[in-house]
Amino acid sequence: MPEWVNTHMGGATAALDYDAELMLRVKDGDEECFAQLLEKHRSPVVHFLYRMVQQQAVAEELAQEVFLRVYRSRGAYEPTAKFTTWLFRIATHLALNALRDGRNERSQERLDERTEDMPALQVEDRRPSVEQSMVRQARLDEVKRAVAALPGKQRAAVLMHKYKEMEYTQIAKVLNCSESAVKSLLFRAYETLRARLAHMA
Amino acid sequence: MKCPLETWEERDLVAYASGALEGGDAERLDAHLESCSACREFVREQRAVWDALDGWEAPPVTADFDRRLFGRIEGEVSWWQRTLGRMGFPLVYRALLPVTAVACLVVVGVLLERPSPPIVRPQPTAQVVEGLQPKQVVDALDEMEVLDQFNHMMKPDSSTPRM
Repeated sequence: MPEWVNTHMGGATAALDYDAELMLRVKDGDEECFAQLLEKHRSPVVHFLYRMVQQQAVAEELAQEVFLRVYRSRGAYEPTAKFTTWLFRIATHLALNALRDGRNERSQERLDERTEDMPALQVEDRRPSVEQSMVRQARLDEVKRAVAALPGKQRAAVLMHKYKEMEYTQIAKVLNCSESAVKSLLFRAYETLRARLAHMA
Repeated sequence: MKCPLETWEERDLVAYASGALEGGDAERLDAHLESCSACREFVREQRAVWDALDGWEAPPVTADFDRRLFGRIEGEVSWWQRTLGRMGFPLVYRALLPVTAVACLVVVGVLLERPSPPIVRPQPTAQVVEGLQPKQVVDALDEMEVLDQFNHMMKPDSSTPRM
């Protein structure tokens, strides 16, 4: 199924992404389409939120709230933007609120702990030595600290740019700011990350 | 090519470092990097950041995520909305139904509480007669007499007045 399809709406032909089409069907009462949207976007949303708040339980709780809000808003949904823009705008809003409220305050304490929900860096050797594991874990913790040290909006911009491969224009729509503001956010964020992580090269 | 760092187009360098820059743009930057140590350093550091971020995997979503979500949704949707949904009612009608029901209740309530209009009873004729003033009666009798006289004048051979 193509990502973008032409749809006839109210006498005018509008280009809608397939997710927006699904959401319009949810609006018409098709619950199965909501399940399809959930299946497609569950992991990207949870992973984005996990990297934002760095705590799996909080990330899933926020993701539940994201999809619940999508479901609640189905009646008023209008496909004015890409579905993922809308989805990540909700997710970012909730994540920034959670960061502001300190719901993930324990996450920084947990960075020093080795937990089950924090996998090690990808490695080719499937059975690394204890020393290798410790080094990789230390590097991973350093990455997490560097990302956690970024201000909320910079963090969100980097995560959408790096992991969701979003264009500057879409990030701008998600963050409700101008494209030049996104450019500035990313410039400052990568500058900070380079200062903290460049030695890993 | 102008130096991207001097023209504040570091976006190109970030894209280049991540391998997202292709074709002529990538070739032009390749050539520039050979002569610009600042950009080379920028790209090296940016690649280090990129590689470090690549190594950060997010844990898988827990298996009962959907079950919990649909449980919360079920908790929010009332039984009659689910029933209407199964019957194929579009969402907009399902949403309007409670509003319509409340509006009907309000209308019925207003009608029941509305004071009934006062019953207008016709006044009996006797009361009308009683309401007449004596002068009015005398005047009426005088007028009848004048009329009778007039009739006699007009029809002298008539024995009975045609009143």
